[in-house]
Amino acid sequence: MSRWVIRGIRTGIKTTGYPRDPEHAPGVTPGLPVGDVLGAEAAALAERCPTGALDQKDGYIAVDYRRCVHCYRCVRGVPRPLAWQAGYEWAGLSGEPRAQDRLGGPFRRSIHILVVDAGDCGACLNEVKQLNNAYYNMHRLGFFITPTPRHADVLLVVGPVTDHMHAALKKIHDAMPTPKRVVAVGACALSGGVFAESFVCGRGVSEVLPVDVEVPGNPPPPLAILHGLLVAAGRKPAVPLTSAEGGM
Amino acid sequence: MSAQGWMLVAVFALCAGGALAGLIVSDRRNPAVLAWAGSLAAAAAMGAAASVLWSGTIFEATLWTVVPFGKLAVSVDRLSALFLFVAAVVLMAASVFSASYLKRYAGRYSLKAMNAWFLLLAASIVLILIADDALLFLLAWEAMSVLSYLLVTFEHRRDESSRAGYLMLAMGEAGFVAVVLVFLFLAANAGSLEFRALKAAAEDLGPTARWLIFLLTFFGFGIKAGLVPVNAWLPRAHPAAPANVSAILSGVILNLGLYGIVRLNLDLVPVDMVGAGLVVLVVGTVSALIGILYAATENDLKAMLAHSSIENIGIVTAGLGAGLIFMAYQRPALAGIAFVASLYHMINHSVYKALLFLGAGTVDDRTGTRDLNQLGGLVRAMPWTSGAMLVGALAISALPPFNGFVSEWLTLQTMLRAAELPSIPVKIVFALCGAGLALTAALAVTCFAKMFAMGFLGMSRSEGAARATEARKSSIVPMVILAALCLLLGTLPTYMIQALDPALQPWTHASATEALVPPFFASHASNGALPPAFAAEFHDLGAQVGQSVLPGRGLVVLHRGAAENPVVFAMSTSYMLVVLAVLLGLTYVVLRLWLTRRRRLARGERWDGGVRRLLPEMTYTATGFSNPVRVIFDAIFRPTTVEDTRETVAEHFRMAIRRNHLAVHVVERYAMQPARWAAMGLANGLARMHHGRLNAYVAYVLLALALALTLGLA
Amino acid sequence: MNGVELKDRIEDGWPGRARCRFDAARRVNEVTCERAALADVCRRIFHEWDFSFAGLIVEEGPDAWRLRYVFYGERDAGWVHVLVAAPLAENAFPSVVVEAGIYAADWHEREAEDLFGVRFEGHPRLGDFVLHDDAWQESVEPMRRGFDAVAAMRNRRPDADWRPQRILQEPGAFVMPIGPKFSGVTESVHFLLETVGEDVIRSSTRLFYKWRAVEKLAEGKTPDEVLLLAERFAATTAFAHGLAYCQAVESIAGADVPARACVLRVFLAELERLRQHAGAIQEICESTALVVATSQAGILEEELLRVSGNLAGHRYLFGLLTPGGLACDLPTGACREALGAARAVLARMRSLDDELRISSSFLDRIEEVGVIFPQVARAYSLVGPVARASAFVRDLRRVQPYSGYESYEFDVPSEEEGDGYARLRVLFAEARQSMRIMEQAVDALREGEIRAPVNLRGGAALGAVEAPRGAAFHWVRLDDGGRVSRYHIITPSFVNWHSFHLAAEKFAFQDFPIILSTFDLSVAENDR
Ligand code: SF4
Repeated sequence: MSRWVIRGIRTGIKTTGYPRDPEHAPGVTPGLPVGDVLGAEAAALAERCPTGALDQKDGYIAVDYRRCVHCYRCVRGVPRPLAWQAGYEWAGLSGEPRAQDRLGGPFRRSIHILVVDAGDCGACLNEVKQLNNAYYNMHRLGFFITPTPRHADVLLVVGPVTDHMHAALKKIHDAMPTPKRVVAVGACALSGGVFAESFVCGRGVSEVLPVDVEVPGNPPPPLAILHGLLVAAGRKPAVPLTSAEGGM
Repeated sequence: MSAQGWMLVAVFALCAGGALAGLIVSDRRNPAVLAWAGSLAAAAAMGAAASVLWSGTIFEATLWTVVPFGKLAVSVDRLSALFLFVAAVVLMAASVFSASYLKRYAGRYSLKAMNAWFLLLAASIVLILIADDALLFLLAWEAMSVLSYLLVTFEHRRDESSRAGYLMLAMGEAGFVAVVLVFLFLAANAGSLEFRALKAAAEDLGPTARWLIFLLTFFGFGIKAGLVPVNAWLPRAHPAAPANVSAILSGVILNLGLYGIVRLNLDLVPVDMVGAGLVVLVVGTVSALIGILYAATENDLKAMLAHSSIENIGIVTAGLGAGLIFMAYQRPALAGIAFVASLYHMINHSVYKALLFLGAGTVDDRTGTRDLNQLGGLVRAMPWTSGAMLVGALAISALPPFNGFVSEWLTLQTMLRAAELPSIPVKIVFALCGAGLALTAALAVTCFAKMFAMGFLGMSRSEGAARATEARKSSIVPMVILAALCLLLGTLPTYMIQALDPALQPWTHASATEALVPPFFASHASNGALPPAFAAEFHDLGAQVGQSVLPGRGLVVLHRGAAENPVVFAMSTSYMLVVLAVLLGLTYVVLRLWLTRRRRLARGERWDGGVRRLLPEMTYTATGFSNPVRVIFDAIFRPTTVEDTRETVAEHFRMAIRRNHLAVHVVERYAMQPARWAAMGLANGLARMHHGRLNAYVAYVLLALALALTLGLA
Repeated sequence: MNGVELKDRIEDGWPGRARCRFDAARRVNEVTCERAALADVCRRIFHEWDFSFAGLIVEEGPDAWRLRYVFYGERDAGWVHVLVAAPLAENAFPSVVVEAGIYAADWHEREAEDLFGVRFEGHPRLGDFVLHDDAWQESVEPMRRGFDAVAAMRNRRPDADWRPQRILQEPGAFVMPIGPKFSGVTESVHFLLETVGEDVIRSSTRLFYKWRAVEKLAEGKTPDEVLLLAERFAATTAFAHGLAYCQAVESIAGADVPARACVLRVFLAELERLRQHAGAIQEICESTALVVATSQAGILEEELLRVSGNLAGHRYLFGLLTPGGLACDLPTGACREALGAARAVLARMRSLDDELRISSSFLDRIEEVGVIFPQVARAYSLVGPVARASAFVRDLRRVQPYSGYESYEFDVPSEEEGDGYARLRVLFAEARQSMRIMEQAVDALREGEIRAPVNLRGGAALGAVEAPRGAAFHWVRLDDGGRVSRYHIITPSFVNWHSFHLAAEKFAFQDFPIILSTFDLSVAENDR
């Protein structure tokens, strides 16, 4: 057994400095497109987006991050690609802007998170799982995963909410004590993603539950999910979810 | 005749009158006759017993002088009175309970017979306890055996009942033969049948005779008490009987076996051999352990209670054994404590087992099943019954502040005192038995947690359980009273010890009260009698706090007397109750009225993993709950697989897996079956001897003669 | 036996009742047979000629049902597609599970029955599969052409009396429900364990809580749109599924993927396999509560995710594939750099492997648990590491190579025991082989085109790829307008899950998560 201990110690500290310091390691995030002035080509480019995340007006392209599914069709194979940013602080508030006031409070320090898969593709869930590994180690921030709604403060939902999970998701939310927060993670949970038109999928969690924080990305990288949790805890400011209001 | 005499006459008159009256009135009215006659008779018996217990004067009367045998006499000393009182309490509860319970049999079985047998059984029980000569005792004993057989087979159309009844009768008779032999021997020795004469003459019996008498009586009465390995009838007969009778069987008749052991081995022919005490101790412990193991894995509510009766009688017997050993080693005070603990436990068992059997009968009546796997969720439909059963379960699990705790705690504590004994092997036996009893207590908690959780909580696992409604008042009242008794006996141990102690003093010649209930709180006047070292220690502990406010003698203390380190152990369930109430109340106040007073209380549905609908078949069954016990003690249960088949379609689709296991009772496997085989072998051998040749018979006679002569000369 | 010989044998076997057409380019024998001969033909193909059953593809034509039973064999034998047709009114077919003893077809038939309403005679377990009976009535058949989702939603009549199917008949038996929400970070799935306490006698899985009706959704979309679904329905193995889908489309269009794209595809597919295996190893370590090993394996997985993200922009390799090649070129230098990084990860993975092999507490928990016997692996046509740990070795990269796999040198690791530990060893060994292939791929990279033009036209084809969890088959039919008219995905998780109950019976409760983790099953991949 002691061999494992030694091995563990030898591995050294891998944990990211985020949220204290920004993380710049390559490959930690897929990034997101940025709103841009493209002029004449804007209309054609907006057409390429399969989920309608791009909205063009007078040559300016606005991005609705909640819908972007990282298909890269606005940057790959086009003569004039859309600008791309590599950040990960993407989490924004759902609903009215005053929502920010309600966050924090009892959630500031340690929170227990219940993760519910409402039909995700496995990637979002895998990225949530990474939060527990040495690189992200969310325990250090006081975030814990709990298996039961009775102990949960935050409900983290991934997936477009399939018909078969609809009732279960409601039941889970009802079984949580108040006060509670709902964090929707991933394009599917925010807008239905590529599954939005399926007759057994909804257009996101907000059709079923009141959502507090939304984390765009398909899947959002672990750091973005971490940012979402920090926003829910009132420990980091939220960012706008579309670039229409000035971008990130 | 004294008041006690009249009361006893009233007992018999009421029983006989009730039995006769039942024959006259219609079948439908018989339960009422039984309830009235039974409870009044029980009240009269209680009165007689109480007056003897209180005054301590022995009641004696001669009934009839028969020329060649001497006279038929009755007497009630404190020991008899104690047993009588307990029997009367259970009888009363069972009688009242019968009023509405028996209605389920109306039209199917003869309630006239039930009434008559029940009341006559009550009378015979009383007679056994007050008999003062061998003949009356044996007659009453035989009447009791036959009547209980008739009651067990009351539902005679059920195969299970008649077979169980027959086994009970057969084994009871085997024991009876042993007891008769003992009495014949004693009577021949004394030339009289009166107990007093038997006792006097027995004083100069040799050790071999004593051993023989002890073994025969322990065997004979042990059968009635349901001790391992002669308990085979008990787990079958008790569940087969109607619930009111089951309560009597477990709450009273088992005690009669113990009464026999105590009367014979403590009073008439006092046992002074360490070995005999060890036999009693070990048999008691083994009974307790085996009883609870089978109880823990049993799913039939009544069969489970029957197995648990074996366990409890085992604990009582272990306590008796400890007492006998302490007596043999001249430790009268310790012996007294052990006997007190033992009888205390017997009383407790009578009370809570009667309660549990009545509850089980009620559940059976309201749901149509006794199978814990089929029950569940009764607490909502049957709050009173469930509440009473919960008390019974807590009491039998030996959890404070209920009565089981006190007596089991006392028994275990006295067993620890074996450290004072000189012999190392004896100490080792004590240690092992103590461990065995501790394990028993732990398993009892599992067992009754299962009973309550699976039977009364959760979801209903059958139609019957789902449709159940609360029982009638006449069923509930006796249960509630017995439940209240459980609490009282649990919280007022000092008073009980004082009542039990004098019943045993004639043999121990030492006061357990003095050892256990110090004069500390007895009265302020006697404080001076308290050893100073003792007082000092207890004042350090703060025992004097609140002595004028709290109920007086709440403290049970074993101390070694003034000289040495005084306190061995101490406990107080009454104080514990007070503290518990205060703490719980405070917790409620702090949590609910103060810390969270602004919070809205939300009641959510149970968390079920998000399934659409949680179905009863998705919840634990009693079998599942007790399976760990089964797995751990697999070597004892040794189940044989009688069925393990699977059905498939096209060799691929599994349609059914059928499995069934059969566990032959360990006693059946290691004692009964070999005994049966031996008996058969003997019979075969004898048959072979009877081949009809004359010279062979002559040879047998000569051989027997030679044997007798050598024995006689030796 | 090669494809041509097979054609002769089939035509000799059922003269006049089965016609055979051999497509040499795709190496497919297409057998059209009568309904009455179906079971017999399938039996011989599966049992006598030792083919694996890949899946059943049901298509509803304008006036007829077309059922396609797909088999694949060893390298030379190629593929066999057995076709039966019947008028739409006659929707009853013989069950090849019952009639031909092809157990592997069990779930395929159940799925087809649930979604199309096609009946399989003699199959005793139809209904309550994809569509839960306590959520939908039996008569809902969503994959039918005329299915009206709005009406179906409006007229829902769930079966209120639904009960779990119980086969254990023993006093005190009960069903232990687990899920759909259970444990920490897990996919939604419902387990029903039949037990009398302590030991699980039988386990059954209620799947499709996450059913997104991807196949229905794909209908009427352009191939480019459907590619998004192919990548995203099970994104932990997005590249493999995307590749299988692209291969199907390319096969219909007759497009020749340029050499550089082929090599890059192989490189990325193996990178994905390496990463997914690291993830699976992490899950196994976690299920046995080996904390340091869990965290070490977690580090490896995250590092490989970063390598992927750094190389391809996306941590799960989204957006790279396109029918005809790749959407963008990856510089050779970047590939070499990624290879170096992956090699470093692999070195640490090997040392983790060495360490695990001598951790007795760990071995105690995964050795001899969840055993799948070789004959089961064959009878169920299992795929991927699960099959190969039970000595059933049929790796598509080897037996039906694609994307130029035939030109790489690598071994297909296999084990005999079929227990949890054997599956773990296969994962480690395959990770090493993936590295071998990646090295060869980087060396084989030559400058050149990365995308060939694709002329969409009507037709149908099967794309088959050895995904990290095992063989994945994507059946695509395009209509004359170049839009997808039928899309059917057969995934390794769906195939392997069918056998899971055999590994997960007669064991103690606490072994359940361990057995589950060694199967590396993905609910998203199964549910689609
Ligand atoms: S990458 Fe995002 S924004 Fe760009 S086309 Fe794809 S979905 Fe639309």
